[in-house]
Order: sequence, then structure tokens, then C-alpha cells
Amino acid sequence: MFLAIKEIKHEKLRYALITGMIMLVSYLVFILSGLSSGLQTLNSAAIDTWGANAIVLNKDAQLSLPQSVVNGPDVKRATDAGGAKLVQFGSLVKDTAGHKESVQVVGIDQKEFIYKGLKVENGTTFKADNQVVVSDNLKVDGFKLGDTIKFANTNISAKIVGFTKNANLNIAPVIYTSIANAQKITERPGVVNGVVFKDAKPNVSDLRTSKVYAINDFINALPGNSAQTMTFNFMIGFLLVIILIVITIFLYILTIQKLPNFGVLKAQGVATKYLVKNTLFQSFLIAIIGVGIAVILTTITALVLPAQVPIFISASYVAVTAILIVVMSLLGSLIPIREIVKVDPYTMIGG
Amino acid sequence: MANLELKNVSKVYGAGVSQLTALNKVNFSAHEGETVLIVGPSGSGKTTFLTIAGGLQTPSTGEVLINGSGYSSTNKNEQSALRLNKIGFVLQAYNLVPFLTVAEQFELVDKVKQNNMSTERFEDVLDTLGIKDLLAKYPKELSGGQRQRVAIARALYADPEYILADEPTAALDTNRSLEVMSLFNQLAHKYQKAVIVVTHDQRLEEKADKVYQIIDGEMSLLKDQTE
Repeated sequence: MFLAIKEIKHEKLRYALITGMIMLVSYLVFILSGLSSGLQTLNSAAIDTWGANAIVLNKDAQLSLPQSVVNGPDVKRATDAGGAKLVQFGSLVKDTAGHKESVQVVGIDQKEFIYKGLKVENGTTFKADNQVVVSDNLKVDGFKLGDTIKFANTNISAKIVGFTKNANLNIAPVIYTSIANAQKITERPGVVNGVVFKDAKPNVSDLRTSKVYAINDFINALPGNSAQTMTFNFMIGFLLVIILIVITIFLYILTIQKLPNFGVLKAQGVATKYLVKNTLFQSFLIAIIGVGIAVILTTITALVLPAQVPIFISASYVAVTAILIVVMSLLGSLIPIREIVKVDPYTMIGG
Repeated sequence: MANLELKNVSKVYGAGVSQLTALNKVNFSAHEGETVLIVGPSGSGKTTFLTIAGGLQTPSTGEVLINGSGYSSTNKNEQSALRLNKIGFVLQAYNLVPFLTVAEQFELVDKVKQNNMSTERFEDVLDTLGIKDLLAKYPKELSGGQRQRVAIARALYADPEYILADEPTAALDTNRSLEVMSLFNQLAHKYQKAVIVVTHDQRLEEKADKVYQIIDGEMSLLKDQTE
């Protein structure tokens, strides 16, 4: 490692440039993955809080909860098997102070597990049809505990009795209310859109027009979810490939410049293994430093970004991505290493 | 007594009409405490000789012996280890690692090889070569002569039995060339090394104990002051 460290210390600018490059690309990867997770959270955070692993939807609804109507007998079979009924639709709400917001209304049954597991941060859970528990994101928009909200195109109002965290669905804040109230707002009495289960393989059979789906299939089918996730994943994938190419080119040029010296060192009996180890260590060191600085910058960025920016930095995801970047950097040193292995000391002595 | 021998060594490149005999049945020996000069014009086979003697190439026929043991028949790793432990190379250029100071050039030898020169002997070598004040400098801060002296010191520091030098005075003026050759001679006697210098510069002959000439791959002894 002696040669690696001495060279980095001597060629500060060169190595600062490549470390800076790795740092910037890593930073971009972390921010993009943070945004991807953030948007994913906005899309499906509410579902995550339910702890559901399966869902019964109408077979013809193409995994869309609002489009699904589960018939009465199927709802009974599903709820008998431990499922929790859902009524879901998009709406616009307005409070008396004039604050307006697009929301997803989710009707849940007070006897079932979603209601029982609802964690209310501020206030209490709803106990009557004219009460709602809402996503704490609505606080940012000016909604307060005790406000009366009115659902657009109806005369139905409800009082905010509590706020709950991580309640987002389809990139909109969720308003939890009773099944009866939700059905009243939509003017579709008795209609249940879906039934969710904690169990991944619920013991429910003989469904007529419905089917049990894995919750991940349902999340992936949320409008725009797959396209958005894939777009981010592609961008992150391309950036990882860019890191691989950048470090390969950089180390290749540096190695080619040093080949005569490596040749002479080999002539003097310095083992190829020693030179290869130094190059690998150099690559590892610049990747670790670059990624380390990027992690610090990402953390600072996540702290200073306004709450409206949907960014969610997951420590485990950052750790996995950081390891991936370091691995890419090590892979990037393989072509330069091949040159070191190939260099014949004989040719360096005028042969 | 340490000695390097080439017995009936030939090196043939190519085949058919393009066949070239770079060395033809060369017999050679060098012993500790001797400075041997190999002179010859460009293309005469000097570098081929040096690379075969140093284990960087294998001969087409014949044998290279170090202290009586066959060298050219060993594998690459063994040859590399043998070069590290027994042979020091001093070349025309790229001798020194550009991003290491003079002191670090020696530190590198310590990193790759045990049992290098003792501190007292090393101090003595630095004195003899006049490079004690250059330890903190990088190669680009040194003159051609200083670089060559550092390269000689580095080769000696590994405490090899043989030093093989390829045109070590090519970049130097006459005075510096004679000075470097005198140093080789002095070091060979003082530290009991066999120093083999390949050059086209016949002015260096007076400083050598033995002088061989290579012309068209044929080697002949021109002068031997050891007898």
C-alpha cells in the first residue's frame, strides 16, 4: 500500500479530481435513490403502515383499488378470514379557512385491524362518521386539529380529530374515515373496493368475482409507480456504469503513464502481485473517500431540503449503494491491472 | 565465491529468412569484486546479453548459472525472486519511481525485500555516491548524474551479488560518465559485488577490470586485468 499512498500524496490534484468525480456521481446516486424512495413513500406509505401483505380485489379491476368493487359474498368470505375492508377514492377537501387539498379518502372499519393499528400522533382516532384522522402532511397546508373539512361536490363535512404519520397514497395525503361515511360521500352505499390481509396467503376460498393478490403486485400497479421506480433505477444503474467507466479510464491513463516504471520495478524483482495490490488499494481508497464525502453531503442535503421535497434517505440503501460503488471502482481497476500484469520488464530495457 | 556464468548461450529471434541470431554461443563469467564492461555498437546484442544474464529472457540454447545453479530454466516467479535477491539493475531511464523521494526509493526496497544493507553500510554508500543531501528530493529535482547515482545506490541497497547496468552513462557527459564508471569500480571492490556494465562507450574501458566486446552476437574478451 506504500506506493499507492505515496502516489496519492504526491499527485494530489489528479487524485482529488478522480475522487471528486466519484464523490459527485455517488452524491447524485444517493440523492436520486432518496428521491425515488421519497416518491415511493408518497405513493404507498399508507399501505406500509397497514402492515398488509395481501389484498382481495375484483378480478377485472386491473389491480386498481378505486376501480375495484368486491361483491357482498366475497367481502364476507374475506372479512371472515381476517381481512379489513377498504373504500378508497380521490377527492378534494376544503376547510373553513379556505385551505384546499387533493386527498385520498380511505374508509376503514372500526372493528378491523387497520383501524386498530392506526397510530394517531396528534389528537384521537375517529369514533363517529363525521370525524376523520388525516395525514400530518396536511398540517403543512394549514389544516389544524378541530378544523371542519368539507368534501368537494358534496354537502358532507367532517371534523379533524387526529393526525397520523406516513399516510400517503398515490402521492396524496390520506384521510381516514369510517366505511359508512366514505360510502356516503361517494354515494355508493354498500360498495367495498378491496379487503386487505396481514397474512401473505390468507385462508380465503370460493371467491366469485375477486382474487387475492400479493400486496407488492398491488403497489407496483399503483398509477405511475412502476414507471417512476424503473426510471430512477435506470438512472442509478447508468450512473453506476458511468462510475465504472470513469474510474477505468482514469486509472488506465495513470497506469499507462507508469508502465515504464512498473517494468523497471518488475525487472528489479518486485512481484507483480505487489504492484497489483497497490493499484487495487488505490482504487479502493479513492472510492471510499469519494463515497464517504458523498454520504456526508447527502445527509446534509436531506436535512436542509424543504419538507415539500419528497426525499427519503434510507441508511441501509445508502450502505448497499456505497458498497456497490466501491465494488464498481474495484472492477474499474481490472483493465489497468491487466496492463500491469502484461508489462514485460524486458521491453522496458530496450528489448 | 559468487559468480555469474553464461555457457554457450545463443539467442535466436524469428525463423526462416527473418531469423536473427542476437547472441551466438556466448561464454562469459563475472565474479564478485569485478567490474566487467561489455562494449559493442548498436544492435550488436549487448541488451540481449544483459536481459538473458538478468533473467528477463531465456536463451534459445545454453545455460545461465548463478553461483553454479541453473537460472534460465526456473519459472517466472523464481526468476523474479532471484532478481530481487541477487541482481540489481541500473538502467538508462525510468530507474526511479517519480513520485517517491530519494529516501522513499530505499523505503520501497524495504517494503518488498528483507535483509537489505545495514544502516552503517548504507550511510557509507550514500557518502561514497555523494547523495546524502538529496534524500528529501524527488527525481525531477535531480540532475541526470544525481539520478544515476541514486539508481546505483538503490541497486546496492538491496545488497545484490550482481549489478547489471544498461548504458548507465548514456545521458551523461564524458566527465560524469567516467565518474559513474569509477564509482562502479570502486563499489565493486569495496562491497565485493560483480558489476556488469553494458555500453557502447569505449571511453569507459580504462575503468573496468574486464572488457568484453560483442559484435554481431559474438563475444570476445578484450582485456582482463584480474589475472
